[in-house]
Amino acid sequence: MSPFEIGLASFGAMVALIYLGFWVPFALMLASYVGVWAIKGSPVLAGKLLALAASETISSYFFGVVPLFVLMDYVVSVSGLGRDAFDVANHLFRRLSGGLGIGTVGANAIFAAITGISIASAAVFTRIAVPEMIRHGYSRRFSVGVVAGSSVLGMLIPPSLLLILYGLLTEQSIGDLFIAGVIPGLLLAALFGLGIWLVARIRPRMLGEAHDAGDIAPLTRRELARKGLPIAMLIGLVLGGIYGGFFTPIEAGAVGCAGAIVIGLARRSLSWRDFREVLNDTGLVTASICFLIIAAQMYSRMLALSGVPAGFGGFVAGAEIGYWGVILAYVALVIVMGTVLDSSSIMLILVPLMLPVLVPMQVDLVWFGIVTVIAVEIGLLTPPFGISVFVIKSALDDPAITLGDIFAGAAPFAFTMLVLLVLVLAFPVLATALV
Amino acid sequence: MTVHANDGCDEIAMPGWFVALRRGADAITAALNLAGTLLIVLVMLVVNADVLGRGLLGAPVSGVPEIVSMSVVAIVFLQVAQAFRRGRLTRSEAVLGKLGLHAPRLRHLVECLFALAAAALVWTILAASWPLFLKSWSRGTYEGTVGDFTAPIWPVKLIILIGCAALLVQLLIGAGAALLRLWAQRGRA
Amino acid sequence: ETLNVTLVAGHPPVFRWVKHASQTFIPAVNAALEGSGYDIRWSEQYGGSLARVGDELEAVEEGLAEIGLVSSLFDPAKLAPQNVTYFTPFVNSDARFVGDMMDRLQMSDPTMKAAWEANGLEYLGGAIGIDDYLLMTNFPVASIADLQGKKIGAPGPAVNWLEGTGAVGVWGNLTTYYNEIKTGVYDGVIVFASAALPGKLHEVAPYITRVGFGAQYAGGIAANKDWFDGLDPVVQKALKEAAALDREAYHEDLDASVVKFLGLMESQGATISAVDQAFRKEWAEGMDNVARTWAERLDADGIDGTGVLKTYMDEMREAGATPVRDWDRE
Ligand code: NA
Ligand code: NA
Repeated sequence: MSPFEIGLASFGAMVALIYLGFWVPFALMLASYVGVWAIKGSPVLAGKLLALAASETISSYFFGVVPLFVLMDYVVSVSGLGRDAFDVANHLFRRLSGGLGIGTVGANAIFAAITGISIASAAVFTRIAVPEMIRHGYSRRFSVGVVAGSSVLGMLIPPSLLLILYGLLTEQSIGDLFIAGVIPGLLLAALFGLGIWLVARIRPRMLGEAHDAGDIAPLTRRELARKGLPIAMLIGLVLGGIYGGFFTPIEAGAVGCAGAIVIGLARRSLSWRDFREVLNDTGLVTASICFLIIAAQMYSRMLALSGVPAGFGGFVAGAEIGYWGVILAYVALVIVMGTVLDSSSIMLILVPLMLPVLVPMQVDLVWFGIVTVIAVEIGLLTPPFGISVFVIKSALDDPAITLGDIFAGAAPFAFTMLVLLVLVLAFPVLATALV
Repeated sequence: MTVHANDGCDEIAMPGWFVALRRGADAITAALNLAGTLLIVLVMLVVNADVLGRGLLGAPVSGVPEIVSMSVVAIVFLQVAQAFRRGRLTRSEAVLGKLGLHAPRLRHLVECLFALAAAALVWTILAASWPLFLKSWSRGTYEGTVGDFTAPIWPVKLIILIGCAALLVQLLIGAGAALLRLWAQRGRA
Repeated sequence: ETLNVTLVAGHPPVFRWVKHASQTFIPAVNAALEGSGYDIRWSEQYGGSLARVGDELEAVEEGLAEIGLVSSLFDPAKLAPQNVTYFTPFVNSDARFVGDMMDRLQMSDPTMKAAWEANGLEYLGGAIGIDDYLLMTNFPVASIADLQGKKIGAPGPAVNWLEGTGAVGVWGNLTTYYNEIKTGVYDGVIVFASAALPGKLHEVAPYITRVGFGAQYAGGIAANKDWFDGLDPVVQKALKEAAALDREAYHEDLDASVVKFLGLMESQGATISAVDQAFRKEWAEGMDNVARTWAERLDADGIDGTGVLKTYMDEMREAGATPVRDWDRE
């Protein structure tokens, strides 16, 4: 077999193993080990590739702040700030059909202004929103689907670790990228909300036995302030600090973390016991996600050696298909790779490959960054490898809801993202208006 | 936090030696997890000290990017065994769940094989990481830059080995548990 | 006979040295091998697809790639002697000159050679010279006193250059400078022209001061030694000659770009000023002798750092350079 065929075969084997129930990181590792062995003809080299990827992949300032973003989100969650955001959003949308679903989207959009990663939002709202929605008669599938879908807002609305990574790869201003993400992020939230509302009006059965959130008492002005103010302060700290030049977007995770702890202590809603538990959970989520990223990196290095991504990318870059041909083929490639690779690996593989093609075409790289991030984020929701779905599964602790349920629930949201992607492609001004 | 039921120890009585073995391994895994947790707090404090020092005192903390990038590797490998033990490593349970209903013995067999395959992979990483540790130890390689901040790399490489070893032990115990269950049900299915 | 060769670089091909590896080095090897009975099937792995910046050395050492663009700048512990230029600022501002000389030293100086061999590498050549580092700030710099309390981003070893100026040296990297200056995390950066223009840094830090920190050596092309030793001498020769061609083409391209880029930045509103010898002298004298600290650290590790420092400075003076400070003679 040629390396190219080995790359494709390893892909099939890996997917089969994941469906059979082999742990996802180990399925990726096994596929990479066997793949490199077959390509390079040496098990020793294959072992070395695994060992080097294990020690190198996450060893960076960029990945170093992942646990801090996760910790911040958990602190926000246990100290009641996440709950408050959820309450405020529900208060705002309580009169609408599908209000709780729309409220979850709204809370995620608020929360996205603090967090830089989607996995954090997914973990937090799995605990806050899912039980509440199920209690109100929404189907399990829809409840987890909303959380999975709206968690992607965390990476589109600034701050965003993915936009930082794109900025590093393309030497674009991270500040510009952040600002470019605002309209598409809010638009996606609006599309999600609109979709839920329409379904609730036209085909309410699709959401389950949902009854309106009429039993949720509206908040008084005072309650609204009490619940809204702390979260507004935290958003102010994170975004104000970044744009005021006090710290970098990468450092924002640590500062936001400290800020969330201080707010939690000041509100006396963060006990020592909570904190210890939250730290422990942060570690477990960080370890399982980073272990997954390490395994994904092993897999992507094996694929790189097989020449599969370069083959596809080279085809896209080299085919005489014109401007739109290149852009659309690129977007399709990102979405296809998103089914099996993690977000950062896809960007690391494809963006440098495309840059030399795009620059002579005068493509606006800020707009292209937003397009890339939306396309990459669709992959968070698509089987067999969808990190947001995995995180929800591991935060859910409910064997009655299977991975398949969550993927199915998330599918309409992945489709909505596709709609947003088409809009941003057709109207670049959506991304560039504010820059 | 509830303990995920991936050990399944309760359904059948495990032999005393196995329970003791597992308890010992769990204690070590939990201790490593605690160390990783403390490291997360340390990273948070260091980055905040750097931001405050730079912004208010004009005195940033040297070597923060190096400290952070080395720490995150340590954190992950200190905690990955616990993450596995708590059932946090992602897997799809659809097929296994069906198998458990219709052919429980086959499920135990598959579980055992999966755990052994994963153990073999972790062993491969462990074996291939060993020379990397030795090199960093004997050559005294460091992160950072002379004159500003330097920190030796070997502690991180050592933690990778320790973390892999702990994960390996947990995987083998998992395989053992599946095997014992398979054995206990030998008359039934 | 067809050889499979993987060429690895941590940086993506938008970086000039990676571009030349792909467009000068590889074609030169292929051309040299024509009619020799050998040809090479290249697998080009750039931009972190196989190894990230700073991890290229290990990828080649372990044999995952046969050849790599190994950046000594990002492997300061393993290729310690190669970093001599970064610890001896104010010596020479001609990148081509520094590159040529460092390539020569990699072949002749026993300590330099030993560093490659200790990592299982064979140095092929193809020095990556970096053009004269500049100070780019969002405030004008007329005297060193202007730097008092300002936060200046600088890459790893260059943080040391700011000791004694009153400025706060902040460890940073090229890819985030623009944003950090724009928001005010930094008031300026130490950077080179060939990266400053593509990074649009002059938009946020329009005061460009040619302090004369000097050109630097950031690494070169190296091969896995076991693999290289097993090659036919014809192939070995082709690789080394292609690396030399690569160095020439790269530096020619670099020199042309620097002149062009400085001009472009000026025409786009940047103010470029050079400093006089007194300014340079005051800056250099105010620094700790970081070269000596560095050499002593190497000596302690059993590497002849003092010897490398002396060789480098001697060769520089012999070739006509006039160092602002004789780092080795204090
Ligand atoms: Na965000
Ligand atoms: Na996916």
